[in-house]
Amino acid sequence: MSVTTLTAGVISREDLVRLLAGPASEGRLMAPVRVAPEVVLFVPVRDPDAITLDYVNSTVPPKEYLFPRAEKILGWRGSGPQLELILPPELQPLVLFGVRPCDLRAITVLEPVFGGAYPDLYWRRRRELTTIVGLGCTEPGPYCFCVAWGISPVAAPEADLMLTPLEPPAAGGYLVAVQSAKGEELLRRSGVGPQAAGTEPAVLRERRTAELTARFRRLIDPTGVERAAERLFEHSYWRELARRCLGCGICTFLCPTCHCFNVIDRTAPDGSGGRYRCWDSCLFERFTLQASGHNPRPTRAERLRNRLLHKLSYHRTRYGLEGCTGCGRCVAACPVNIDIAEVVADLKGLMT
Amino acid sequence: MRDNPLWPHLATIVKIVDETPDVKTFRVVLDDPGARENFRHRPGQVALLSVFGQGEATISISSSPTRRDYLEFSVRRVGRLTGVLHQFEEGYKIGLRGPYGNGFPLEELRGRDLLFVGGGIGLAPLRSLINYMLDRRDDFGSVEIVYGARSVADLCFKEELFTVWPKAPGVRVYTTIDRPEYGWDGHVGFVPSYLAELAPSGAGKYALICGPPIMIRLVLQELAGLGFPPERIVTTLELKMKCGIGKCGRCNIGSTMVCTEGPVFNLARLQALPPEY
Amino acid sequence: MKEITLNLRARAMELLAGGRVDLVIGYGTGSLPEFVRPVFVDRPERAGELIFNPLCAQNLTKYVLDYRDRPGRVAVVVKGCDSRSINQMMADGQLDREKVFLLGINCPGLADPSLLTGAAGRRDWQVESVPEGFRLRWPGGERLLPRDEFLMYRCRTCEHHNPVVYDELLGDPVPQDEAPDRFAEVRRIESLAPAERAAYWDALFARCLRCYACRNACPACTCRECIFDRPEPEWVARVVAPQSNLAYHLVRAMHVAGRCVDCGECDRVCPVGIPLREINRKVLKELAVLFGAPTPGTAYPAPEPLATFSVTDPEEWL
Repeated sequence: MSVTTLTAGVISREDLVRLLAGPASEGRLMAPVRVAPEVVLFVPVRDPDAITLDYVNSTVPPKEYLFPRAEKILGWRGSGPQLELILPPELQPLVLFGVRPCDLRAITVLEPVFGGAYPDLYWRRRRELTTIVGLGCTEPGPYCFCVAWGISPVAAPEADLMLTPLEPPAAGGYLVAVQSAKGEELLRRSGVGPQAAGTEPAVLRERRTAELTARFRRLIDPTGVERAAERLFEHSYWRELARRCLGCGICTFLCPTCHCFNVIDRTAPDGSGGRYRCWDSCLFERFTLQASGHNPRPTRAERLRNRLLHKLSYHRTRYGLEGCTGCGRCVAACPVNIDIAEVVADLKGLMT
Repeated sequence: MRDNPLWPHLATIVKIVDETPDVKTFRVVLDDPGARENFRHRPGQVALLSVFGQGEATISISSSPTRRDYLEFSVRRVGRLTGVLHQFEEGYKIGLRGPYGNGFPLEELRGRDLLFVGGGIGLAPLRSLINYMLDRRDDFGSVEIVYGARSVADLCFKEELFTVWPKAPGVRVYTTIDRPEYGWDGHVGFVPSYLAELAPSGAGKYALICGPPIMIRLVLQELAGLGFPPERIVTTLELKMKCGIGKCGRCNIGSTMVCTEGPVFNLARLQALPPEY
Repeated sequence: MKEITLNLRARAMELLAGGRVDLVIGYGTGSLPEFVRPVFVDRPERAGELIFNPLCAQNLTKYVLDYRDRPGRVAVVVKGCDSRSINQMMADGQLDREKVFLLGINCPGLADPSLLTGAAGRRDWQVESVPEGFRLRWPGGERLLPRDEFLMYRCRTCEHHNPVVYDELLGDPVPQDEAPDRFAEVRRIESLAPAERAAYWDALFARCLRCYACRNACPACTCRECIFDRPEPEWVARVVAPQSNLAYHLVRAMHVAGRCVDCGECDRVCPVGIPLREINRKVLKELAVLFGAPTPGTAYPAPEPLATFSVTDPEEWL
């Protein structure tokens, strides 16, 4: 069967290794690796066997391959009248393997931010150069609630190649869908030839989605929560919730849809330097602090309210897309148990 | 990097004017002829100035777009970046990105009588509109400018304030300083109280305000009493901005991004926003 | 521990109703069985929100800083490790003793939630501490687990089961056995060759996101304006990069040196699992070796090795 006409088929675990072997040996593969008992990170992988497949999701979202935690956006040399600008370093094509549907949806959620009237070249370039191999879930994690936002845990359209494990722990192979030219290219170069799927792929995916949905630990219904921005803005709920907030950046940095950044210049002793775009957090005290000393969000209450309303309301108002994808990382990692799923229920309760 | 909205265009400082002890106006010319040609701004828009090594700052463009040979930025020295910028000399290069923001609602203002109320460095974005209006004098009605600063030394744009604007047809300028000073025979008192004394009628008029938050608050109260409806009171907000293009996520008031949907707001729109600025 | 919870609620209700405190900062149930969270009980009717169970790890004393400048008094629930923070805050001049009412808990050790989930084979469990260990219960089943096998990592080297400072104790004293060597891991890292040690830390700091949770959770970090937040001067580059991450952690360790009470919060909150406590423990080990100093916060007042000069101080470098 010609790959160019194949949109879906089945590959084995060994095929998967072959699929990734080329990029791995070229140093271009980023894949999940368990670096500590409770920490899984997307890191460069040279040997596909080192990839962790026994994970719910990574600790740090793969957004950092499209929107890095620190990215040099330009350089300069000289000063005064002799100043000249230097282009940032060239990027290499990458293969990013193991991206879950919640993180794939996050790409769509972030597209209007980095696109729009002023398309972001850095995001665009990284998207063009990155071949994303998505990996459907076999088990919902303890804090997952992607289905609440209408996301299937089984497959998502943003991946270039979408793998759906046919049975846990994927010993039985993967349903593979070619969803873009880049995906097709990766498949073709690896020499892996998918077999025909026994059951109609769409049926398979639907069945898996239903099976998995039934196993989610919590059922969240966010319908109507976006109205909280208008109706509960001045409510004391935020002040009460913020009492325990530490004002750290854990939730924002682990969130696949958070995109706030700072732009920081660094100068070397010889006067040359670079401008870096770095992750920033709206929960940090100085996020909106002006040079005059005025701060529109002076306490943790305003800052926490801003983050939660951005996720649950503002993003949808601006872009027509839900700001949260239910990945559950913030729930798992918040040191003081501020739980966005619980916040959804609280806000809806306050509005009745 | 032509299409990169985060890439600054290099511009050379061609003239520096010391407006006050802590405000300088930098007249810059973009280095690239294509960039010069394409940079067309509206009064009230801003640009992000790069001081390489320090970062970028959002500064209102204080020159009128009718004067196309240069761009002017009036910058108060408040922090690290502006401190370094204030040490620059003519011939030095900075970076420029813009113009960003919505600017003043020129279509609405056409044919109208205008009342400008400014305090301190707040006159900078208003100056862009004032000079635009003077270059297109017949498009606008009468003009009153009420402006004040802490002291005579702190008055910005002194030449325009004392010489150019009062001489323009249909323009009246009312200047005040906070406390009496030797050699100053003009009005003494804060801007809001001067405005109350002058009591300009709000009938059919637009009020455009820019200054420190406390001044704006008091002026808004005065204007309400003078018959200015919220739709005809216009101000420009100052918020911390890092990109100017709606991506860095920090200049939002509720779901409104001030860099792309502001910084110019009329009072009606402002009152509909959540109290977060 | 059920008894402690009941005592705690009763005392909180009395303290609030009697106007002796305006607020009780304690632990409450979280959004899921494996979580607990800080609760801020400001009315006697809310005292029922307070609990104490083997999941109550957080050092709540950090929150005292939010309230110490307001009129009135707050009560705060402290375990042995947390109580050291109160002593140290007083030593640092950050807290007047009369601003806090300390509800002390005798804690035999906390349980590791992920080990409990493994033992139950499911997530909807409840746990309490009993003299024999941890009693784990779930619908239709229960298990008694030996404490030392299910102990939370940070509790393995516990120095103070019983609070070192308190206004009231809410349980029975727990015998303090000889704790295992607190500095075993520090010694292990010290034994690595320099290149190995550098590689060890470089790999860990490459993970650091500069979320500043370690700093924000730390009760010793009390500066109103943290130097790492200041853009001018920029002491440590704010850009996230391995070198600046290393600098951030080492500088912070130096800033809390002599004031870190080894509560383990930095470790607990780090989202990427960097064993930050070992950096602070390296300093604590040096203090123990050089000055024979106990863990800061063990007593108040107490001589402070890094804030005191004595002519008998070791000076082998001269």
